[in-house]
Amino acid sequence: MTALAERPAAAPSRETYSIGPEPRTRREWLLDQWAHREVLVMLARKQFHVRYKRALFGVLWAVAVPGIQAGILAAVFSHFVHTHQGYSYPAYVVAAVFGWSYYSQTLGTGSTAIVDGSSLADKLWFPRSVLVISECLAALPGLCISLVLLLILLPIFGVGYAPHTLFLIPAVLLLVAFCTSLTLCLSALHVYFRDVKYMIQASLLVLFYLTPVAYPQRRLGGLGPWMDFNPLTGVANMFHLAAVGRPDLWATNLPRSVAVTGGVTIVLALVALEAHRRRDRLFVDLL
Amino acid sequence: MTASRGISLQLQTVGKRYWKLEEQAILLKSIIPLWRPTRTELWALRDLDLTIAQGETVGIMGRNGAGKSTMLRLLAGVTQPTTGRVFIGGRVAPLLSVGVGFHPEMSGRENVYVNGMLLGLTRRQIDARFDQIVAFAELESFIDTPVKFYSSGMFMRLGFAVAIHSDPEVLLVDEVLAVGDVAFQLKCFQRMRDIQAQGTTIVFVSHSTHAIRLLCPRTVIISGGTMAFDGDTPEAINHHFEILSREQGERSGESGSAAVEVSDRELVGPDGPTYHLPYDEPVTYRARIHFRERVVRPQAQFQVYSHTGVFVYGRRTMAGLSGTFEAGDTVEVEIPFQQRLGGDTYRLVLNVLDQTDDPLYTDGEGLVVYVAARPGSAGLVDLQADIVVDGQPVNEDVDLMLGPGKLRAAEYDS
Repeated sequence: MTALAERPAAAPSRETYSIGPEPRTRREWLLDQWAHREVLVMLARKQFHVRYKRALFGVLWAVAVPGIQAGILAAVFSHFVHTHQGYSYPAYVVAAVFGWSYYSQTLGTGSTAIVDGSSLADKLWFPRSVLVISECLAALPGLCISLVLLLILLPIFGVGYAPHTLFLIPAVLLLVAFCTSLTLCLSALHVYFRDVKYMIQASLLVLFYLTPVAYPQRRLGGLGPWMDFNPLTGVANMFHLAAVGRPDLWATNLPRSVAVTGGVTIVLALVALEAHRRRDRLFVDLL
Repeated sequence: MTASRGISLQLQTVGKRYWKLEEQAILLKSIIPLWRPTRTELWALRDLDLTIAQGETVGIMGRNGAGKSTMLRLLAGVTQPTTGRVFIGGRVAPLLSVGVGFHPEMSGRENVYVNGMLLGLTRRQIDARFDQIVAFAELESFIDTPVKFYSSGMFMRLGFAVAIHSDPEVLLVDEVLAVGDVAFQLKCFQRMRDIQAQGTTIVFVSHSTHAIRLLCPRTVIISGGTMAFDGDTPEAINHHFEILSREQGERSGESGSAAVEVSDRELVGPDGPTYHLPYDEPVTYRARIHFRERVVRPQAQFQVYSHTGVFVYGRRTMAGLSGTFEAGDTVEVEIPFQQRLGGDTYRLVLNVLDQTDDPLYTDGEGLVVYVAARPGSAGLVDLQADIVVDGQPVNEDVDLMLGPGKLRAAEYDS
């Protein structure tokens, strides 16, 4: 039993703590997150591997599904809506649909992650947010691959690489930050109200058309500026900007829409922090 | 809060309340006032105090629903108490079930890493222990096979191997020793003993009195969410069975013509009244019969049933108790016998019949007693068989065996 002999007989306790009925402080919660970073990465890797393990084409599906969706939308909208005015409409649609598919995937899996992970949560302690964030991380490789595909497609769509292409980086950061904060809030709510799952499914259908993903905001006339207050508009516009540039041709007010997204993200992150630090150890009682 | 030295786990007047919802919470209902789902409170634990010193091994027993699982959850830090405080002094490996986080599509190797990291090991620590874990689980040739192709025994072995190699300061074990075949059980048990000798604190929840007796000098009995007993294991085990018997007795509904009543049932072993019988000991069943009416030559009928209702043994009077009994008379009945039942729960029943064999009194549940099986033997009766090979009896270290008796014992109140 050599493994046992390795440990000194009186090893100092590394993890000594006491749990009372009171919620944890923000500092405690954040330190606990940090302490579980390895578990977080490991769970994300596991989710990603498991998701595509048995599929013959594996991770290609992560690109193929939004790719097909983007292709259909580009074909349909460009045919009926006559949108090509000085920029590549296919590039415009494909970029935002790739972003949208990350949003719909993380919202679908992340917001139910605490309930779905009940078999783990019931047996072992780790901050429950780990389950949610790992879903957001697990969807990242798929997003990255589709963005590589986008970069390959851009010249084919007749858009060259330009400085605006670099906006892809802040676009991804904004998308991931927004999705993570939102799913953290929704996952906590979902523990208490299982209706959340179905509300999300319904909202995805509606929001897709209330967000300028497949059409330019400007085409909506007087309704266009109001869309800036939809936090998803800012994210979609960032992807449009990275793909085709020239926001004057399709956005009503790009900085405003991005500022709304940023503001909403910060508010959601603070709400998520409060909800999780107060309820972290109580979620399991309701699973 | 600073740890008092030497304390590994502590519950300080801990209570845990759950809300029992009459119906699933629905968002719409909770938004509209006066239409909230009704809920009733349910205290799984109440005012529980328990201190476990570093290096101690403590057994936890209690009926299902007594609060054992809630207690383990609190000690594992999975949930927080409603009142009081839980103090945890060291890295805890909760072995509440085997193979937590195992995914069927992933290989044994990948699952070892997932499971190990969930138990608090770092990737590097798992690298260092990997070969030992695989060797312990005896899965060298299957480690790169997805675990969905594993037999349930292989699955359990791998899960247990990871947990037992996670080298915790506190090990919480919930009824998982019954994994794999007897040889593997023995190996797990040896390993638990090594860990115990190493100074690791162990909290061991089990229904198996045999396993508890072998591993834990101290045992805590939880009943109805409170501490019913905390002390030496032999005493605790008897206490546990007394609680079980009392609860069984409360549910038993006696019936009869009310002309006769049986009371004060007890079983007396070598050390006095008991509910828990060792094998091959002389014991005496004792009860009182009260007569409320005049009865002529009643018959006494003693019967033993297994907990599944199988009739195991019977003994009755043939000509009846001599004489006539007047209303208000009381007699004491003693039935001595040699205890040769197998390991199980039994009901000892005393019925009273009249001269024509019509029941005057039918004992309901009767007296419920528990018999520990002789290690290596099973069944309703103990025939005291031996296994002799070439003239040599097979001598096994029965004190380490968790054999069939253990598995059978686990069925008691499930």
